[in-house]
Amino acid sequence: MESDELFINMGPVHPSTHGVARFKLRMDGESIKECTPVIGYLHRGTEKIGEMKTYLQFIPYTDRLDYIAAFPNNYAYVKAVEELAGIEVPLRAEYIRVLTMELNRIVNHIVSIGSLLMDLGAATMIMWGFRERENALQLFEMLCGARMTFNYIKPGGVREDIPDGFIPKLNEFIKDMEKRIVDYEQLINGNEIFHMRMKNIGVISGKDAVNYGWTGPTLRGSGVDYDLRKYEPYSIYPDLDFKVCVRKEGDSYARFIVRMDEMKESLHILRQVVDNMPATKLISMAEYGISPMTGTPTAVSTYFPRIFTPPAGEVYSRIEAPKGELGFYVVSDGTTKPYRVKIRSPSFCNLTAIPSLVKGLKIGDLIAAFGTIDVVLGDVDR
Amino acid sequence: MNSAEELKNLLPGSVISTGLQLNKPMAVVKKEDLVKAAGKAKEIGFDHLSVITGIDYRDHFEVIYNFFSYSKKQNLAIKVNLDHDKPEVDSLTSLWKGADWLERETFDLVGIKFIGHPNLIRILLPDGWNGHPLRKDYDMNTEQFVTIGDNGDDVVSPDGTNLLRRK
Amino acid sequence: MEKGGIRVDPVTIDTTKIKHTKKQPVTALEKLNDTGLISTLLAAREREGMILFSTIDQVFNWARLSSLWPVTSGLACCAIEMMAVAMAHHDIARFGMEIFRASPRQADLMFVAGTVTKRMAPRVKQLYEMMPDPKWVIAVGGCASTGGPYHESYSVLKGVDLIIPVDVYIPGCPPRPEAWIYGVIQLREKIKNQGYGAKWGLNK
Ligand code: SF4
Repeated sequence: MESDELFINMGPVHPSTHGVARFKLRMDGESIKECTPVIGYLHRGTEKIGEMKTYLQFIPYTDRLDYIAAFPNNYAYVKAVEELAGIEVPLRAEYIRVLTMELNRIVNHIVSIGSLLMDLGAATMIMWGFRERENALQLFEMLCGARMTFNYIKPGGVREDIPDGFIPKLNEFIKDMEKRIVDYEQLINGNEIFHMRMKNIGVISGKDAVNYGWTGPTLRGSGVDYDLRKYEPYSIYPDLDFKVCVRKEGDSYARFIVRMDEMKESLHILRQVVDNMPATKLISMAEYGISPMTGTPTAVSTYFPRIFTPPAGEVYSRIEAPKGELGFYVVSDGTTKPYRVKIRSPSFCNLTAIPSLVKGLKIGDLIAAFGTIDVVLGDVDR
Repeated sequence: MNSAEELKNLLPGSVISTGLQLNKPMAVVKKEDLVKAAGKAKEIGFDHLSVITGIDYRDHFEVIYNFFSYSKKQNLAIKVNLDHDKPEVDSLTSLWKGADWLERETFDLVGIKFIGHPNLIRILLPDGWNGHPLRKDYDMNTEQFVTIGDNGDDVVSPDGTNLLRRK
Repeated sequence: MEKGGIRVDPVTIDTTKIKHTKKQPVTALEKLNDTGLISTLLAAREREGMILFSTIDQVFNWARLSSLWPVTSGLACCAIEMMAVAMAHHDIARFGMEIFRASPRQADLMFVAGTVTKRMAPRVKQLYEMMPDPKWVIAVGGCASTGGPYHESYSVLKGVDLIIPVDVYIPGCPPRPEAWIYGVIQLREKIKNQGYGAKWGLNK
């Protein structure tokens, strides 16, 4: 049946909880004929600021890209700088880094699932999720004094060693979280309305997903077994035992389940990190060949001067952030500031596919599909 | 033999030189042959276009494409050099749909034109913005403001009338 | 007991003799009076205490500050803290503002939570203009107050007060939920003391 076309503008301020995205929708009755995402409402010029600040000064800005999971952002940039300058990192620092990143992965998935359910009209999950998130944030606060924007990981290690009483609290959190994930599953997984909203909605094949440049849990939901932690390992991930969570279906529900499973894997990693963390050991200065005049390395950080100049060169370094592949392309021209910083953000590349993903669906399904892609607009617009 | 050399063996006429981008193999390609080289790379398994980076070197532009192969678990970077006066290169949207937004972003912020792109408009900044911010000669001192036009789209205005409470 | 060289005899006070001069509030009107929000209470005897005299400002302000409804306008990182403030742990419902309205027409408070970019600025202004009077604005975080960490950026507005009037600024990047709640309390104080009566000092 022929019907008139209707144009709907959604956003940039709209009730779904991901930020200031805007969709221009061309509707045929109730189904979407064409969806044009308009982004850039949070474009803050981070890449230009990267050129104006020194290497160390730019680290706080990386926190504010993907502000739900900031530790991996810190780490991705610092990893690029370390590769560029060839800086060694103490083993204990690597353990602390992985610990923070995996904790942050859990937090990210909690928020992502919570806001997805909230967009679908179920407010319980976000209340529960933020309860557990608050516990995790208290752990972050013990580490570095900040709740969301950490500036904790720095070239050569981390800023400070973990404080007393952190590990017992972390163990408590892990134990608590195990029970909570079971709670979540009981709340959501069997819910029939949820199944009807999520199953066979926003289906994408693995081949298309790769073609669109999808990465992270969204890609693994389409049956592509790929995780940079496993197949291009960095930090201490080669020593850890964890499995890559993959689902075949490629629909919204699969992406949601992958996130659920990843939380469990992250808890598993956390337990191993706590068990195997090397004890505090004061590193002798001779070990790093640094004279006492220039600074003191600690157990968690080789000394790193405030102003430093890596040799000229360029590097593209990437990690598996909670949302997907997060890469930093850093070009150094041998001065104190980077010549160019390019951020490859997972949210930006994952959002590319949305027009084809939601074609023919209803508006409500657009919200569901958008929610399972799990973008953060700070990461999209930079 | 790393992947860049493999590409050079397959396309000796197009690849100018091979080298390393710190730890990843990189091939410098003639800008006319970019689509050919990228297509070849896709054929030999590099199915993931990770990132497109445009860099302004004051006298010339460089565009760097980072690829990854899910099957072989290898990296490859392809670099093209462009003139500063005429920064134009062919678009890869026919090969990767994901290249669409990455190229639009590079056009928006660095000002490199991708020939053959179906919809090459600004993506992060509003249409009508003056200049490309990631160029080294971008004027950081002149403020530009945005207001809403009649049909709801952005209009860039230099003085911000209707927007600011006071001058 | 010596005090400054002078001997002071200790005094014993028989506490059982002390009478409470202040009467405990019993009726609803007295209880209302006891809150201190409405200080002028003149109950007309012949109407059996059913009439309350106050200034109109006091009643209105009391009603307004007790249920501020914010509009959802999360812009950036600070908006995540806004969600944290609204959730069970910090529970902004204690201030009658748990209902974040999706439509500005139903809201009277706007948290500008996050970076106001040049592109977003006209939308924020439009959102503000759509809200019915009386309305208040809280600028949350460094970005909304001055541009914050992005002050040098080419695409960020240097403070939301360039485009709309702001009542309370909350510093921080992002402000902790406690700071957030403190800011809300400051706004309540401000609302308490506004209106015509405030000019003549009647609202205290
Ligand atoms: S003040 Fe800080 S936390 Fe808040 S929006 Fe700005 S950068 Fe983000």
